[in-house]
Amino acid sequence: MNQRVIVAMSGGVDSSVAAALLVEQGFEVIGVTLQLLPGASTGFGCCGSPADIADAKAVASRLDISHYVITMDELFEDKVIRPFVESYLRGDTPNPCALCNRFVKFGHLLGLAQAWDAGFLATGHYARVKEGKLYRAQDENKDQTYFLYNLGPRELSRLVFPVGDLSKPEVRSYARRLGLETADKPESQEICFIPNRDYRGFVKSHPLSAGLDSALKSGPIKDVSGRELGRHQGTVDYTIGQRKGLVSGSPAPKYVVRLDPKNQTVIVGEKEQTLSSVCEISDMIWTSGIPVAEGQASVRIRHRHPPAPSNFSMTEEGRIRVRFDFPQRAVTPGQSAVFYQGEEVLGGGMIKEVIE
Amino acid sequence: MMKSAYLDYNATTPIRPEVMEAVLPFLKDGFANPNSPYRIGQEVRRSLELARERVARLLGAKNPSEIIFTSSGSEANSAALYGAAWHSLQQSGRNKIIVSAVEHESVRETLPILSSQGFKIYETGVDSNGLINCESLLEAIDERTALVSVMHANNETGVVQPIEKIAAFCQDRGVLFHSDAVQSAGKIALDVESLGVDLLSISGHKLGALKGAGALYIRTGVKLFPLIAGLQEKRRRGGTENVIGIVALGVASQLSLSELSSFQRYLSWQKQIEEGCLSVSGVRLNGGKAKRLPNTSNFSIEGVDGHSLAIAFDLAGACVSSGSACATGLSSPSHVLRAMGLSKDLVKGALRVSTGWRTTQEEVDYFIKVFPSVVNKMRSVSLVPA
Repeated sequence: MNQRVIVAMSGGVDSSVAAALLVEQGFEVIGVTLQLLPGASTGFGCCGSPADIADAKAVASRLDISHYVITMDELFEDKVIRPFVESYLRGDTPNPCALCNRFVKFGHLLGLAQAWDAGFLATGHYARVKEGKLYRAQDENKDQTYFLYNLGPRELSRLVFPVGDLSKPEVRSYARRLGLETADKPESQEICFIPNRDYRGFVKSHPLSAGLDSALKSGPIKDVSGRELGRHQGTVDYTIGQRKGLVSGSPAPKYVVRLDPKNQTVIVGEKEQTLSSVCEISDMIWTSGIPVAEGQASVRIRHRHPPAPSNFSMTEEGRIRVRFDFPQRAVTPGQSAVFYQGEEVLGGGMIKEVIE
Repeated sequence: MMKSAYLDYNATTPIRPEVMEAVLPFLKDGFANPNSPYRIGQEVRRSLELARERVARLLGAKNPSEIIFTSSGSEANSAALYGAAWHSLQQSGRNKIIVSAVEHESVRETLPILSSQGFKIYETGVDSNGLINCESLLEAIDERTALVSVMHANNETGVVQPIEKIAAFCQDRGVLFHSDAVQSAGKIALDVESLGVDLLSISGHKLGALKGAGALYIRTGVKLFPLIAGLQEKRRRGGTENVIGIVALGVASQLSLSELSSFQRYLSWQKQIEEGCLSVSGVRLNGGKAKRLPNTSNFSIEGVDGHSLAIAFDLAGACVSSGSACATGLSSPSHVLRAMGLSKDLVKGALRVSTGWRTTQEEVDYFIKVFPSVVNKMRSVSLVPA
């Protein structure tokens, strides 16, 4: 009997092609689409919207494979949406995709795959796994390792990313050749559970922020010396490094340097004041499973950021302290810091604090 | 790979070979409209009337004209609820409808619509065994009540309701009584006369006939507004008759009736399945203390999600269900088990196993054999607390 592989099919072109490639390679492919938001009626292009489920089913039908829809809305709310909202309310900027990958796709779904006697779980992510190690995608433009760093050896030994060796145009042309319904489907939006990219509106309307949170209250915009330059409608509207929507009519452009939701304050400064050379990382996960006390790595601090050469060492509290060789712009708490050595992903964690 | 053990007869059943044989002529020369006057139309009409007699016999109806054909059990339920409600409101101003909390979705989904039209809906709960609270239902019946609808046997648990008591009470007060018998017809003896129902729904594909045909029993003298207007079925249900589906329903009704005496084998499988599953710790039988259909077992399995479990069984070669087979294949927590007072996690961990005419001992044995290992594997990766 052929080896069984579960493919997480979002209804997009990448996971469609991932499934097709595995079918071609002779695996017994089982498609699974996760429904991550409560109620089947979320109308926009999100994981598990009716349109995406229909697309995934159409592709599964074309490939003649079994396909199931699994509801994980409670887990998603618990492990992704709540931390996302809490992060904003804290004045941070979260990376929800990394949490979804860790707890939902490569957490619970990987477990289910095991219980369903599948040797592997596959997704349409752009990344590569070889001999239990994680590498950046062939197509650097599409590389998604910034969202995948928190996989340990247990996960990596059972994952395959079939499109990781392909470029996006190659994926699309393969899908067209097979006549897959999703071949020309547009890219999904940045954060799948937020309609129209209005994450601020989402945070404000989430029950967690109901009325009590200072991050939603108006307050002063101050410069680093404490001088008030204007007013804002809630720190949640800002992210570090942001230039838009600040003080009008000031001589030099201002950038958000820091957010202080407790005191309802947005602190702004000149461009060079957004530079930092040291930060601390919490929740560090090493892909090898073996913690590293100190060393050198290139550290990526946001999606598409060119990894910055750095030295790192473990602090007494178990955090990882990163010193960039050159100061980096807008090092943002809540975002992930992902450690690379060449193409290989060593691990990563969450930026907890900017030290200097 | 071996063909999967199919143990989800409450979702649907394989088509009986006799049914297939019987409908073939209607896929060829028997195409005429049964309402046409010429000879070939008459022949189709006769087949249709023969089917009506067979259905009437299965249900114990005095007169075949008390049967109308519908597209499904769901349509029969809609026709009964809307038809009776609208007619009662117009004739006597009665606007109260009483149902149980464990009705099939096709009944439940009519309620918000009827409510929006001014009807008052009263829902009666069930006890922990799934049995309807008769006293509170009977108390709720008053001079404003147009219709009471209580299903005969529940599709998820197989629990059989004591509808004859309710029907008799309704009869005394001039209140119409409808029962959804989609799951009980052909599985246990059914007699509309002794049950005392005014309206009763059945479905063809639960009996080994085809999807797309059902029937509604309408006691002589009971008037309904037609759900679909037209001249067919004595103006009670418009639309040219689904001849193939109706012929199939007739043949399957006849076969089901003749097989009622062999319910012992279903009981025996039910016993084997329940003993097998209950031997695994943390498994409980839902509705176990009530009178149930002989073909249905509903379990709550601690520490698993029933939907993922059903997928695991599918991948292991057994078709079972996490509850009712709803339209999208998505899981939503069972209103039936919730009404029985089960905890959220036990509702989540529901698994339904149901046998039928083509079930074999091998299938039952296979399911019992794989059950412990599938459950244990799922438990080891589950998010549901055990």
